[in-house]
Amino acid sequence: MNSKIKKPKIVWLQAITCNGNTHSLLSANANRLKLFLDSFDLVYHPSLTTDILLDDLLEKEEEIDFLLVEGAITSNKEFFQISDQTTSEVLKKLVLKSKYLIAVGSCASYGGVHKKFEQNSDIFGLEEALDKKDISSLVHPIVNLTGCPVHPEWILQTLFSLKEYKQMPLDEKGRPKEIYSYLAHHGCTRNEYFEWKVEAKSFGLKEGCLFYGQGCRGPMTHSNCNKILWNDVNTKTRAGMPCIGCTEFDFPRNNMLETKKNIGIPDEVPLGVSKRAYLSLAGVAKTFKIDRLNEKIIK
Amino acid sequence: MKTVDIVERIEGEAKLVCQWDKKKISDVKIQFLNFRGFEFILKDKPILDALVYTPRICGICGQAHLKATVEALENIYKNHNEELTLTNKAKLLREIGLNIEIIDSHIKWFYMFIMPDIVKFSQNSLDEYSPLKGKKWLESSSVASETIKSLAIIGGQWPHTSYMIPGGVISDPTLLDLVSMQNYMDQAIRFYEDSLVGIELDNYLDFKKSEDLYKVKGDLKDFITISFENEFEKIGKSYNRQLVLGDSLSFEKGKVNRKLIKNIDYENIEELSINSFDIDKSKVSKEAYTWSKTALYANNFYETGPLARAVVQNRSFVSDVHKHYKDSMFTRVLARMDELGFLLHKTKQLIKQIDINEESYIKPKVSLSDFKYGVGQGSVEACRGSLYHDVEIENGKISKYDVITPTVWNLGPGVDGKLSTSQKAIVGSDSLEKAKLILRSFDVCSVCTTH
Repeated sequence: MNSKIKKPKIVWLQAITCNGNTHSLLSANANRLKLFLDSFDLVYHPSLTTDILLDDLLEKEEEIDFLLVEGAITSNKEFFQISDQTTSEVLKKLVLKSKYLIAVGSCASYGGVHKKFEQNSDIFGLEEALDKKDISSLVHPIVNLTGCPVHPEWILQTLFSLKEYKQMPLDEKGRPKEIYSYLAHHGCTRNEYFEWKVEAKSFGLKEGCLFYGQGCRGPMTHSNCNKILWNDVNTKTRAGMPCIGCTEFDFPRNNMLETKKNIGIPDEVPLGVSKRAYLSLAGVAKTFKIDRLNEKIIK
Repeated sequence: MKTVDIVERIEGEAKLVCQWDKKKISDVKIQFLNFRGFEFILKDKPILDALVYTPRICGICGQAHLKATVEALENIYKNHNEELTLTNKAKLLREIGLNIEIIDSHIKWFYMFIMPDIVKFSQNSLDEYSPLKGKKWLESSSVASETIKSLAIIGGQWPHTSYMIPGGVISDPTLLDLVSMQNYMDQAIRFYEDSLVGIELDNYLDFKKSEDLYKVKGDLKDFITISFENEFEKIGKSYNRQLVLGDSLSFEKGKVNRKLIKNIDYENIEELSINSFDIDKSKVSKEAYTWSKTALYANNFYETGPLARAVVQNRSFVSDVHKHYKDSMFTRVLARMDELGFLLHKTKQLIKQIDINEESYIKPKVSLSDFKYGVGQGSVEACRGSLYHDVEIENGKISKYDVITPTVWNLGPGVDGKLSTSQKAIVGSDSLEKAKLILRSFDVCSVCTTH
């Protein structure tokens, strides 16, 4: 690595969060994480760096290339403060020094789990927490990396991509298209069961699709989890846990571990598929009783 | 003189307010000023959704919250005399997952959260421990990310899976999956042997006496050397009372208050908010200074965590070190790293015990929403100590949810003129740096504390 080339400066801010995105990043593929640390200058992260504190950073005049924010934002100081200030104050000060602003996780993007704390009605994602004048220094629209937590690779791919190409196409919710145009369903090892409408008979099985009983939102959730895999090895749906739609703006929903049904049919059908088309197809598929798909995979 | 300092790198931040008298800390307040309201969020939510919410209390010990939730919910069945059948396989897969999370956390804690501060006390420059750049920092982060893959095999991902549900677990690993998990454990064991203690795990686990400290090599030796050079074995002592609430294949419940008692009764747990903020302002006293509540067992402050677990379980090496150096900062850190070795060995054994032919999940005969009303408790041993969940349900919804986290036991505010465990450990320190180290030695989780 040529140390003479100035590495882009990254600041990671933690607002109202569980730190899950930090630990997701730390669980990244080790070689990728090392390359990331070699290629960027992580100036400040409240859990990782020791050289400077938040106060020092706020006083510095230096420009920040990438401001990454983990957690939701509030201007309520009674419930939340960092370094004696509200998360909203700190955010605004830092954004004014920054070129790119990236929401890391669903809480920073839309408020997420923390927005459900209704006793504090002032909890927002970045976009809602900032006015036009607050973001005047940004050279790019806010990038929302949703997910609870975010996949570490999404952070790395986004940063490397912005470093190389300066911009990336976003969907209408501010998410990188190349990540969030896929559905969590794509690449799930249970796909064949979905095609033939074979339900998982219960939790705890390798066999069957979780869409029909266990609440799986894979066919309605934008994310490429099953394309890139988690921790390099697996995904929730492959293991047997339903997708709970954590990359969507309405996460967390109610009754996430069961499928809402109407006369035995899932109330919500796969994205972009008409209910009529789905019902016809399901009806036909169910008339075939395919033994292989009703037996154990490993006999 | 009064000093106010912000402490970072504790899964969030805390404020350390110290009163000084004759160059020593005469009083200390640990303030957690952030409140996320999980207990309020959970109210009126569908019951099983708690399995999705509570892991999100904490990004580093989410599986402990998950296990506490699932056990509290299963306890509701038990209280209705609707005993669930849980296969041995399901029990094992839950505990293995939790252990892996503790292993991951202990590795990260040593290299990322405490050693960067410890080495500042060394006479030598130990740049290998520098955050983000040092060889040892990078190696530990690499090992941690490899280790946690074994949890992703059964949970689908980490952080934030909800793979445990009343009746069992959602996944059904193959034998090859289990072999891969063993491999990841073996890699972590190699790291423990080659880097952390510098000797074979089996030999390490044979240590019985505090003299064996001198046989430790590797990075833990750096810690031991720096500790004795700076008398860390003499600072950070508290009440020397230990508490373990969770019972499992890996740990035993019990308490030590002068003598060891293995009987634990949840009735003795008391949570107070005399010095704590409340969202109902009319309930807030003048003295309130933190969002953390106070947790007492039988009216006493206790320490919870790896030191407590080793002492209650009477693991000989740590118990003997503890006999010599009591509940000092040194003993506390050593106990955590000792537990890492202990758990690596134990978890490998547990993986071996799984019979893949058993069911992963047996559907409960009745649904929790069929009960008009119910209460249940669950307690598990998390990375940082005992975690307790207490849930109440009504007509298919959660009507009350109470969480007491390990950091509340250790770092909650003192009450009625009595200092809490960590306050007592810090009072008497002759420097702010040492006070911060003592605070850190409890492996503080700020986000959990005030959930």
